[in-house]
Amino acid sequence: MTRALRLRRGAPNAADLALLVALAVIVLPIAWMTLAAFRQPRDLIEPGVPITFTFSNFHDLFAAGSTFTHQALNSLEIVVGTTVLCTVIGSLGGYSLSQMSWRRSAVALVVSVIGLIQLAPPITLVPGEYVTLSQFGLLGTVRGLILLNTMFVLPIATLLMKVYFDGLPVELRESGLVDGASEFMVFRRIMLPLAAPGLAVVTIFTAILAWNEFLFGLTMSKGASSAPLTVWIATVVQSYSIQWTDLAAAGVISSVPIILIAVFANRFVVSGLTAGAVKQ
Amino acid sequence: MTAVYAGRRRRRLRLPGFRFLAVAPLLAFVGVFAGYPLVELVRMSFSHLHLANGNFDWSYTGVQNFRDAFHDAVFRHSIRITAVFILITTGVSVALGTALALLVDRARLLAGIAKNVLVWPAVIAPVVVSAIWWFVLNQQFGLLNKILDALGLPTQSWLAYGTSALLSVAFVDVWHWTPIVFLIVYAAIRSIDSSLLEAARVDRASEWQVIRYVVLPMLVPTLALVAGVRIVMGVKVFDEMYLLTNGGPGVATTLVSLYIRTVFFDQVDLGYGASLGLCVLLLVLVIFVAALAARGIARRVAAA
Repeated sequence: MTRALRLRRGAPNAADLALLVALAVIVLPIAWMTLAAFRQPRDLIEPGVPITFTFSNFHDLFAAGSTFTHQALNSLEIVVGTTVLCTVIGSLGGYSLSQMSWRRSAVALVVSVIGLIQLAPPITLVPGEYVTLSQFGLLGTVRGLILLNTMFVLPIATLLMKVYFDGLPVELRESGLVDGASEFMVFRRIMLPLAAPGLAVVTIFTAILAWNEFLFGLTMSKGASSAPLTVWIATVVQSYSIQWTDLAAAGVISSVPIILIAVFANRFVVSGLTAGAVKQ
Repeated sequence: MTAVYAGRRRRRLRLPGFRFLAVAPLLAFVGVFAGYPLVELVRMSFSHLHLANGNFDWSYTGVQNFRDAFHDAVFRHSIRITAVFILITTGVSVALGTALALLVDRARLLAGIAKNVLVWPAVIAPVVVSAIWWFVLNQQFGLLNKILDALGLPTQSWLAYGTSALLSVAFVDVWHWTPIVFLIVYAAIRSIDSSLLEAARVDRASEWQVIRYVVLPMLVPTLALVAGVRIVMGVKVFDEMYLLTNGGPGVATTLVSLYIRTVFFDQVDLGYGASLGLCVLLLVLVIFVAALAARGIARRVAAA
C-alpha cells in the first residue's frame, strides 16, 4: 500500500527538492570539466563562463604517435587481459568451491584467505609486488600490470561467482553427469550459462576496476610503453605547465564510456559495486 | 533405474580431477602474486636493500627498520592524519548516504533518475575524480571560486593551506564514495517490511518519527557494515590525494599510503618502505580482528 503510494508519480515533494540539490552536486563538477574539454585553452582563464566550442583538444590527444593514444591502448590491453583472467579463473574457482563438495573447512579457509587479500591496502603490498615482478622480469610491462590487476580483482570475482553458483541446485550437476557429460562439459554447458548474470556482473565490474586502476600503473610501469591512461592523466597534472583543456578532454574520454555503462547496464554495475564493497 | 546407475554415478562424482583443476589456477595465482610477495615484503622489512647494476643487494638488518618507524615523526603524523581522514569521511559519507537513501525512497519525481546518477561518482576513475575536482577547486578558473565570485564573496585557494587542503580532499573522497553507502543502505531500506511502516503511520507517527523509531533501528546492522567498508576504503585511499595535494602543503595531507610510496620510490629506501607497509598491514589486521570481536560481544549481549 505505502509502496504503491510512494511510487505514484505526481507533484514533486520536499524529498525531490533535496535530491535535486544532491544531483546538482554530482553533475555540476562533471559537467564543468566536460565543458572545459571543448574549450580553447585561452578561454579557460577568461573571467565568467565564455561559451566557445572546439574539438581541437581531442585532436591533440589522438595526434599520430601521441603518448596518450599509446597509453589508452595499454589501458585497453590491461582491461581485456584482466577481465579474461578474472572471469576464467574466478568462475572455475568459484564453481569448484561452491558445487564440488569440498569439505566445509577447506572452503572457509580459501574464502577467508582471499577475503583477507581484499582487506589489505594495495600500497602496503607494493614493495613485495615490486620485487616479485622484478624477479620475474615483468616490471615495466603491460603483462605485469595485467597480472597485478588480476591479483587484486580475482578475490572478489571468485567470491561473486561462488555466491551465484551457490544459488544453483546440486542436482543439476548430478543429472548432467548421469547423462554422461564430463565434469568440464557440465560446467561449461549447464552451470556457467545458468550463472550468466553473475558472469556479466563480474565482467563489467572487473573491466571498470582495471580501466580505473592507477597505483600499480604508477609504480610498476616504465614510461609510456607500459603505463595506462590514468598515469597519463597524472603526468599531465604534475607537469609544470598543465595543459588544462587536454586534461579535461582525457578525463572525458576516460569517464564517458563507464558512465554510459553505468547508465545502460545499471543493474549489473549496482550489484557489482555493492557486492564488491560488502564481500571484503 | 537409479540402482543400475548408482555405481557408475558414484564413481563419476568421486572423480577428483576437475575439482582440483578448477580451483588450482586460483590457488596458484594467490600463491605466486599474493603469498610470495607477502613473504618478500616481510623479508625486505628486516633488510636494507640497494640497487646495484639493476639488481637488489640485500643485507639483513634485524628490527632496525621497525625501530626507525617507531621514532619516525612523519610516519606517526601520517597515521594520525589517516585516522582523522577516516573519521571524517566515514562519518560524513555514512550520514549523507543514509539521508540520500531515505530521500530516494520518498521522492516522487526524481527517484528513478537519482538511482542512476548517484552511481556515477563511484564508477569514475579516482584519477579522473581528482581532475574533475582540480577544475572545481582551482584558484583561477575553478567552479567554486567562480560561484563565490558571482555571489560577491572572496575567493579561496582551497588546497594551499593545511586544514582546508585536508578538508578539501576529505570532501572529494565523500563525493566519490557516498554512492556506495547509498546503494547498500537503499537496498536495506527496500527490504524493510512495509507493513511495519504502515502500522506506525496508522498510529499517527510523523514521518520523522517513522524514520527515527522504526527505520533507523532496523538499519543499525547495515550501517555498522557500511561504516566498516568505508573504514577499509579509507586506509586504502591513495589516488585522489596523490594527485590533488601530493601530501602537501608540507605533510598536511600525507596519508600513510602516500608516505609509503614516497619512502619506497622517492627516497628509494626499499626495506624501510616495506617495513612501513607491514606495520600498516598489521594495524589493519588488528583493527579487523578487534571489530570482529566487538561484533561477537555485541551479538552475545543482544542474545542474552
